[in-house]
Amino acid sequence: MKAGKTRLQKKTVPTEIHGDASTPDGIEPTESIENIEADMVVMEKVSFAYDGQCADIHNVSLSIGRGEWVTLAGANGSGKSTLIRLMNGLLRAGSGSITIGGTKLEPGAIGGIRQKVGMVFQNPDNQFIGATVEEDMAFGLEGLCLDAEEMRSRISRYASSLGISDLLHRHPQELSGGQKQRAAVAAILAMEPELIILDEASSMLDEMARRDWLSLLREMHSEGRYTLLSITHDAEEIAASERVLVMHEGKLAADLMPGELFRSEELLRMCRMVPPFRTQLALELEKRGIRPADAGLGSGTVNMDLEDERIWPFSWNM
Amino acid sequence: MAIQLEHVSYTYDARSLLRQTALQDVNLELAEGLLTGIAGSSGSGKSTLLQLLNGILLPTEGAVRVLDMTLAAGKKPPKLAPLRRRVGLVFQFPEQQLFAETLEKDLMFGPVNFGAAPEDAAARARKALKQMGLSEGLLSRHPLQLSGGQRRKAAIASVLAMDPDILVLDEPGATLDQISRMELTSLLHYLCREEGKTIIVVTHHIDELLPYADRWVIMHEGRAVFHGTRRGLVDEAERLPGCGLSIPQPIRCWRELEAAYGLQAEEPCLSPSALADRMVRLASAAAGKERVYA
Repeated sequence: MKAGKTRLQKKTVPTEIHGDASTPDGIEPTESIENIEADMVVMEKVSFAYDGQCADIHNVSLSIGRGEWVTLAGANGSGKSTLIRLMNGLLRAGSGSITIGGTKLEPGAIGGIRQKVGMVFQNPDNQFIGATVEEDMAFGLEGLCLDAEEMRSRISRYASSLGISDLLHRHPQELSGGQKQRAAVAAILAMEPELIILDEASSMLDEMARRDWLSLLREMHSEGRYTLLSITHDAEEIAASERVLVMHEGKLAADLMPGELFRSEELLRMCRMVPPFRTQLALELEKRGIRPADAGLGSGTVNMDLEDERIWPFSWNM
Repeated sequence: MAIQLEHVSYTYDARSLLRQTALQDVNLELAEGLLTGIAGSSGSGKSTLLQLLNGILLPTEGAVRVLDMTLAAGKKPPKLAPLRRRVGLVFQFPEQQLFAETLEKDLMFGPVNFGAAPEDAAARARKALKQMGLSEGLLSRHPLQLSGGQRRKAAIASVLAMDPDILVLDEPGATLDQISRMELTSLLHYLCREEGKTIIVVTHHIDELLPYADRWVIMHEGRAVFHGTRRGLVDEAERLPGCGLSIPQPIRCWRELEAAYGLQAEEPCLSPSALADRMVRLASAAAGKERVYA
């Protein structure tokens, strides 16, 4: 996929999503009005253990409001993916309660909840069903019992917003990693869920595609129709979100703003993250006794105490 | 030469209307004992290229020479088992390579399959696990009981356990946290320097591999549009955006520095610590000069 082309197609997204929002379909309007006040996700004292003994998720309570964009961060193996699998009943909590969009997660309610929750997993291969990208997108829509016309229009709309219109007739296995990921996301978006959970969905994207991906997330967020919960190690993606939940050894270790996370060395270590390159460089220089100006780490222009100003020809922001 | 590609093209579904050319006239020589980074936007042919290296795919045109074996288009390939023993491939989704009921069995499968004694295989499994920073407590677990990141590390360990001469990894760090990714990169660097392995890594994080890779290959639309040293990549960095890649931060920083100080002939410093060291030396040199004039 040529990046330039993708970006052009992306530009059409906001208007299209807006146009669509004015025509109520898919989600039952009465239901959303009824529950409009309720938070999208409420977890109360949730625990879970794969083997029934050592808790992989331990006593987690959290709530995520409608329209929020939340990042779930943490080291590999800290329980992030387990936590989100509890949210649509893929895993069943050992104790505690989970409410999604005002509906309590219990055996009879799982079907309804899964219609509200769209999940994009780490590995797109695990969620392809159709023999072509188009069929794959249609599969979810058939499950929602939409008529053919609506299905066609949604497929073309979301395929073009993700820049995969050319790939609709290809077999998913013929696509590259990044293309697969976009196809998987398109299939989920076409179902127009309220809560979108992204489990490292951008991890296979290349740099340029990741930037497009980030602007897609921004558009989705500003449109206000989706609640976004994203697991990611990508610093830029974390920074773009509104709130970060940090998982550590199955517990919720922090709930804070992205900026606060990047300032906390301890939390960064806990999440096994490193600061951006220029910040690292500033820290290294500091170790060698060269202090950038106060604003130094991450923002502002740096001037140096040393004679030669040209040592700092950098514009000091990422 | 560990690997040599001569006029290699690869077309998926070559005989049908749906044919897709993934590689076009690729010529590459990857020397033994070097760490080579391969970058390119999605769909540029990186993964296809890697799969040619141990005979998973056979070229539709041209010839691929790996170690002492030749895979040529239209010719019957030689026995692939010896090739695969010597070329370990870690796929884009290495967790899919796991299939045994415990992690230990999985790690031992490769060595045993290629003729190692069970005790030897078990020892290799433990060593590889340790190299990937996983605890031995995980050995008895089912692969599905591991987290995504642990699974990925385990899959890389299963290839390390085979002790191949050439290690080929397709975006091995994609779902790892940053520190794990950096640990993996320094492990690869170690295997290359200390054990003389030839390492080929496809990456989307050029910046993280820059301080370690000896050679770079940039793929774009099925062609190898750049092949050269770190210095060469720095010099030709403007070409990256045309290939769907952005110029990595370390290269930007270094280029600003070399433009200001005329360091174009130097080996670029591309890690935060190396760059900081270089800047300190520049600063003290400048300060020394001033003292002389005064």
